[in-house]
Amino acid sequence: MTITGTTPIRQRPATSSRRRWPIWLFRLTITTAAVLAFDQAVFAGQFLSGSYGALHLHRDNATATVAAIAASIVTAILWRRAGAGPLWPLPAAIVLFALTALQTWLGYQLILAVHIPLGVTIIVLLIALTAAAWRKTR
Amino acid sequence: MNSISRRTFLGVAGAGIAAAGIGVPFISGIAGASSTGKVLPSRAPLPPPFQRPLTLPPVLRPTRSDTTTDYYDIVQSVTRATILPGLTTRLWTYNGSFPGPTIRSERGRTVMVRHTNNLPVPTVVHLHGGRTPQDSDGYPIDYVYPTDMSYYNRHLRHDHAGGGHDMVTGGDTRQGIRTYTFPLQQRAATLWYHDHRMDFTGPSVWQGLAGFHLHHDDEEAALHLPADDRDLPLMITDRSFDTDGSLLYPSLDPTLVNQHGVHGDYVAGVLGDVMLVNGTPWPVAPVQRSTYRIRLLNACNARRLSLRLDPPPPSAITQIGTDGGLLVEPIHHDHLELAPAQRFDILVDFSHYAPGSEVTLINDYDTAAMGQVMRFIVDDGRPQAFRVPDRLSAIPALRPADAIATRRFDFRAGDVNDHDGWLISQAPFSPDSIAAHVHLGTTEIWQLNADFHHPVHIHLSPFHVLARGSGGPGPFDAGWKDTIDLRPGEQAKILIHFDGYQGKYVFHCHNLEHEDMAMMANFVVS
Repeated sequence: MTITGTTPIRQRPATSSRRRWPIWLFRLTITTAAVLAFDQAVFAGQFLSGSYGALHLHRDNATATVAAIAASIVTAILWRRAGAGPLWPLPAAIVLFALTALQTWLGYQLILAVHIPLGVTIIVLLIALTAAAWRKTR
Repeated sequence: MNSISRRTFLGVAGAGIAAAGIGVPFISGIAGASSTGKVLPSRAPLPPPFQRPLTLPPVLRPTRSDTTTDYYDIVQSVTRATILPGLTTRLWTYNGSFPGPTIRSERGRTVMVRHTNNLPVPTVVHLHGGRTPQDSDGYPIDYVYPTDMSYYNRHLRHDHAGGGHDMVTGGDTRQGIRTYTFPLQQRAATLWYHDHRMDFTGPSVWQGLAGFHLHHDDEEAALHLPADDRDLPLMITDRSFDTDGSLLYPSLDPTLVNQHGVHGDYVAGVLGDVMLVNGTPWPVAPVQRSTYRIRLLNACNARRLSLRLDPPPPSAITQIGTDGGLLVEPIHHDHLELAPAQRFDILVDFSHYAPGSEVTLINDYDTAAMGQVMRFIVDDGRPQAFRVPDRLSAIPALRPADAIATRRFDFRAGDVNDHDGWLISQAPFSPDSIAAHVHLGTTEIWQLNADFHHPVHIHLSPFHVLARGSGGPGPFDAGWKDTIDLRPGEQAKILIHFDGYQGKYVFHCHNLEHEDMAMMANFVVS
């Protein structure tokens, strides 16, 4: 529906009428990414206990984690543009996307001396970003 | 609902979903796995345990003997056997029996075995643990082609793509008959022979191509260990059966001619759900109130075993030997952990059990049916005492300081021709690439790193386990080994002495599905 000129133009208040859904979308995608990233540690522990199926879960879940972070780039833009959110989520999500892409490659290359500490770093960053997203009220 | 409480509600709900998203996979997989592999469920009803008697494989008589050598004949053939009650199972056998006939040899006498291949596919015989010249060691492409080539020729696809190296020839091949020569200049030991055809060892052994070879010497004879009917070789194998009694196996190519490998996650290893001992499911054996020598062989494709006796013998399980022969001194255990291909030579004293006692061999790595192996029933005879010798054997000492080189090999999952497979130091098996050049008479330290369970077997040269992780050898690592039970994420060090013969030999994972999916490499002794 198009709002025509017959409707009086409402003055947009400074804060109170900002759209709320973009922040929820960002919270959803970044929390999902954090959970999936933590599951990577769970699956790694399991295949190092001899469960072969967990290796496939670790591989497939890597793709899902990267996808959730890619989605967080989109929701970070939406939060900024449509929800008048802060600037920092977008560069944070882009950096995390790059790190997880690198992390996936390191995993396939079995460069474990870097893969494991980088994995811990990614989980820490994702949890920090998730906490920040839930702390922000708009 | 005001916005604060709605936010609180959504936050709590979100936290709950997030916790479940971590908690569910965490809890569901927390047990890990005692064997790397996947159970192949039988479609036939499982037979009740402890009904059928244990049998021992027939001992093969030489067809002739001369002053230096005993000559044996083995015919590899398709045989039908009754393994499950009321059903027949088609097997690949040595001389019509599963396990194959037992060969008993004496140090100082050469054994020559003439194998005739009346099976539909090429075969390769390897004497596992044998100190054997390369031309009789069963190199994976030294095929003995079938006597009758019609099945093989009918199914062989010359155009097939993928599947990799299963078409490689160029080995030292024969048609129909090959005579293997085993000088057996080695200590008394529980050896076994089995098929070793490149890419198809798993299905071949699964179908029955395995037998004992018990080697004796004077040092062992001087101990007067329990012998004859109190020397029990037990080949433990897990198998799965179809409704008609035939063996199930998840081959990609059921003809077992072209494409190697198995379906899906069975590449991790095929686990059966029927426990066979010497080819009989969960057998029962009468025993005298006396001490028995039991030679345990884990001949499963992928299943690891943790064995104990219930109720336990008061004198514990006394280990006297392993893969490469007798230990220096006996070791007492309450249980034994066996990776595929490993052997434990043990003494069990049944004299302290009351007459009629039922003593069950338990597998603690599984529950329910697969948590049991077989049962002994103690007879009501007079107890006979046997004193275990304090000293068993003089093993020449290997010292880490003598090692002239240290090598590292990584045993890990990886792609083989765009399929899930297994690699040694990033490389799939090729008969043409050599992972290590070693010198006859020298000693080396090999560091072996694993991602999953990898029972690593080295041909020709037995070894000592030096270390696991940051610790020393484990409780089941004593003595000369030819197969080490590498566990997930483990780094082990072995001390290996290259001795005997020059030539090209293989080392590989003895999870047979891993072996068939390329976890094998060559070393050349010069």
